[in-house]
Amino acid sequence: MIKSKINTVEAIMVVLIISLTPSILSLPKNLIDTTRSSILINIIYVTIIAVAIAILIYKLLKNFSSSDIIDVSEYLGGKYFKSIIGTIFIIYFLVSSSWFLRNFCECLKIVYYPMTSVVFIIFAFIITTCLSSKLGFSTAAKVNIIVLPLLIFSVLFIFFANIRNFSFENIFPILGEGVFNTFVTGLGNLGAFTGIVILYFLPPFLKRPEDMKKITITTTIIAGIYLLFCVSIILFMFRFLLNVDEVMPLYYTTRYIEFGDFFQRLESFFLFIWILVIASFITINIRLSMEIMKKITNIQNVNSLVYSFGLIIFAISIFPKDYAVSKFLESTIYSYWTFGVSFALGIGILILANFKKRRSNHLPKQKEVLETND
Amino acid sequence: MNFNFKNFVKSIFTYTPEKEYDFNLSEDPNVDNQNTNSESLEKSEDNTKIFQSVSVNLDYMKTKYNTLINSDVILREFTLNAKGKQYNAFIVYIDGMVNSQLLDDFILEPLMMRNKNNLHDGSQNKVVCEAVTNNITVRKVKKFDLSEYIMNCLVPQNSIKQVSDFEKIASGINSGNCALFVDTLSIAYDIEVKGFQQRNVEKPSNEIVIKGPHESFVENIRTNTSLLRRYSNTEQLIIENIEIGSITKTKCALCYVQNITNNDLIAEVKYRLNNISVDSLLSSGQLEQLIIDSNKLNVPQILSTERPDKAVTYLLAGRVIVLVNGSPYALIMPAILIDYLGSPDDKNLKPSFSNFLKGIRVLAAFITLLLPGFYVAITSFHQELLPTELLFSILASRENVPFPIIFEILLMEISFELIREAGLRVPSPIGPTIGIVGALVLGQAAVSAGIVSPILIIIVAITAIGSFAIPDFSFGFHLRISRFLFILLGYIAGFLGIALGLFIYASYLTEIKSFGVPYTLGLSPLDNVKGNNYYLPPVWKREYRASFLNTKKPKKQSKISMLWKNKTN
Repeated sequence: MIKSKINTVEAIMVVLIISLTPSILSLPKNLIDTTRSSILINIIYVTIIAVAIAILIYKLLKNFSSSDIIDVSEYLGGKYFKSIIGTIFIIYFLVSSSWFLRNFCECLKIVYYPMTSVVFIIFAFIITTCLSSKLGFSTAAKVNIIVLPLLIFSVLFIFFANIRNFSFENIFPILGEGVFNTFVTGLGNLGAFTGIVILYFLPPFLKRPEDMKKITITTTIIAGIYLLFCVSIILFMFRFLLNVDEVMPLYYTTRYIEFGDFFQRLESFFLFIWILVIASFITINIRLSMEIMKKITNIQNVNSLVYSFGLIIFAISIFPKDYAVSKFLESTIYSYWTFGVSFALGIGILILANFKKRRSNHLPKQKEVLETND
Repeated sequence: MNFNFKNFVKSIFTYTPEKEYDFNLSEDPNVDNQNTNSESLEKSEDNTKIFQSVSVNLDYMKTKYNTLINSDVILREFTLNAKGKQYNAFIVYIDGMVNSQLLDDFILEPLMMRNKNNLHDGSQNKVVCEAVTNNITVRKVKKFDLSEYIMNCLVPQNSIKQVSDFEKIASGINSGNCALFVDTLSIAYDIEVKGFQQRNVEKPSNEIVIKGPHESFVENIRTNTSLLRRYSNTEQLIIENIEIGSITKTKCALCYVQNITNNDLIAEVKYRLNNISVDSLLSSGQLEQLIIDSNKLNVPQILSTERPDKAVTYLLAGRVIVLVNGSPYALIMPAILIDYLGSPDDKNLKPSFSNFLKGIRVLAAFITLLLPGFYVAITSFHQELLPTELLFSILASRENVPFPIIFEILLMEISFELIREAGLRVPSPIGPTIGIVGALVLGQAAVSAGIVSPILIIIVAITAIGSFAIPDFSFGFHLRISRFLFILLGYIAGFLGIALGLFIYASYLTEIKSFGVPYTLGLSPLDNVKGNNYYLPPVWKREYRASFLNTKKPKKQSKISMLWKNKTN
């Protein structure tokens, strides 16, 4: 039984923070790299597909009232299967948090703390997120309500403040490197909708489970629009993408914002906002992992695990040898990882469980038919 | 934040089951839903006519005023002598609101004492005129009328009214009059015997307003309850007595409006007040610390006010007030973050004015909490934020300062706190002088001596002014203390330190509850904010009470409150 549940707005914000946070790092550039100038069409295309997938997840989850994927996997394959699936999702949340944390801290180190070891920066984040995670999922969701609008505001601000630096002709050729590249290879950009994975775990947390459909559709559409803004900023500002600084392309665009002679270098304020966003992202990931752990182990007080989870994230974060390795993990491996866990594993379990349920619903009827025939 | 290293280590290596006191304010089952849905508000008028039987009237008044729990409502039964006959009677008044001398000498004494004029047979009718025709005597007599007799002969009061329904009589009682009920009469007397005990009318010293009333609470609890009665003017206001402190047995008054306030909230406040085991309780400040949910971040979780109008505003909004004898402050509970940035004057001003001022106060809170920290962070880590000319000017001003920025700012902030504390302690005529000497002379001297830079003086001054703009003293104090933490974080890690500190601060703030109500309500969670938005709508749009209080009457005014505008001729 979840002690304190979250309302619909909080739930939307939780899904969005997981979806939107990667945009701070190299996600927009990775998206553009796949399809080049057709990225805007591609984003609209993958958003439509993501909405369809989200609706499919909602339909599949609906049959299990307010159960999450852990309960569904228990129904499908028993306790051991539940533990395996739970562990996979815990690893997914912890590993993705670690990679993002490492990359963001590397960026912070490059920009502001060249003399400081990245370990200290990561450690500061770990302490903060552990203290915050201890307060519960509901608290993490409430803080997120304050933090997430800042992220959206920051991106909109960058967009509108940079509009005079835009070269709108960068959109041409409108189909980039071809139809196939835009619509087939570009399907890989679905990995940008990582927030979908949270949908599997939301039902038990919701005060109003009947709003699940609203949450599903709203979050996917907002995430799509947000991504459209993010990629537009980079696409319209930089003709030759290879020349763009690899360290947080959005951060790079903030350097071009100028308001007269007084405000010429506002990028620190954006970093300030993004530090809050990353902290919120990791807090929610830790807390979700703790809730999953609670489900698979029946532990009474899951709060005692918070430092253990923090240490795991810390250990995974410092594991990559250097920034190049961690960047490769975040930009390349992460999308496969997301595809595997968010879409393949999650939807696969739900489809199988739905089959099982339908079969078990039909079984008694068949028996009756057989008896009548006899 | 109270950090205990031992507990920290313990929490890592040991298992401690959760022992959290978790009270949530649930919806009251007695919610007046009709009131929510209907366009017109239910009229609270009690049109019941006064009964002839005094015992029925007595029971009615006892129920109406909840005399079993209402400590300040006095019902005095006695026998009234009129024309040699005796009648059962009683008077009702509110202790603390009437002049006892007047009551004894000019109401009870004439009604109870036997005197010569009052001894003759009451059954005798007064002969007005007499005529005899054909041995038949025709007399015109005036029958004895007890109600007239009491009014004209027994009660030597200048202001007395005969009232036939309970609504009017209750209104009189609530405003400090005394009600007299006599057996056999289906009317009651509303006798003016007002006599509030109060110190000379003084302006509130800490919560000054421009357009509102200028009265403040005093130390006497009865005077304070009478102020609440007078301002609220409703018999639905319940004032319960609770004694706290095994030695001092300090009288506390738990006040709420019976037909508005959520029953769970009342029960919870009562439960906490009744379960305090202390020797002594001498102020509302002590009580506040004894009944709050948690002490995380040291944020105030109960509003404290010296203004009766503010207290009554909150009472009628569905909150609970606690008064402590000997303390000129009322405690208002539950309280949320945005309450601490509101001023009693907000509701007296036009919404655009008050919302502008509210915005200024939010800015002041941010300045108080973060400006010195930001200054340290920017000058230490993020110099690129400053325009080159300004950066040069700051560097030039710091050229002669031998100390690091952290030492410089802590020196000035602590000096400022010293000046403020000294200003409070010294006799009032010297107080402002200390402020001027401290701020101007000392600051100027420090700059001339090269101890601090002039820019820093500006930063500290703006921060200080910001802290004075916070209406609530406790909340301002909390921000003043917390800013030292952000200064240190800014010095250690620049924006990274401040952002992470702010994140933890926000996390703890959102976790706090005040009597079951989330502290950051309005900001987060975003829902459930009907009637309690930080920014005020126009008066005619303030239809609802704050929904988070789950009051029995969610609506407080009609959808169309300015009826005069919509009436067709």
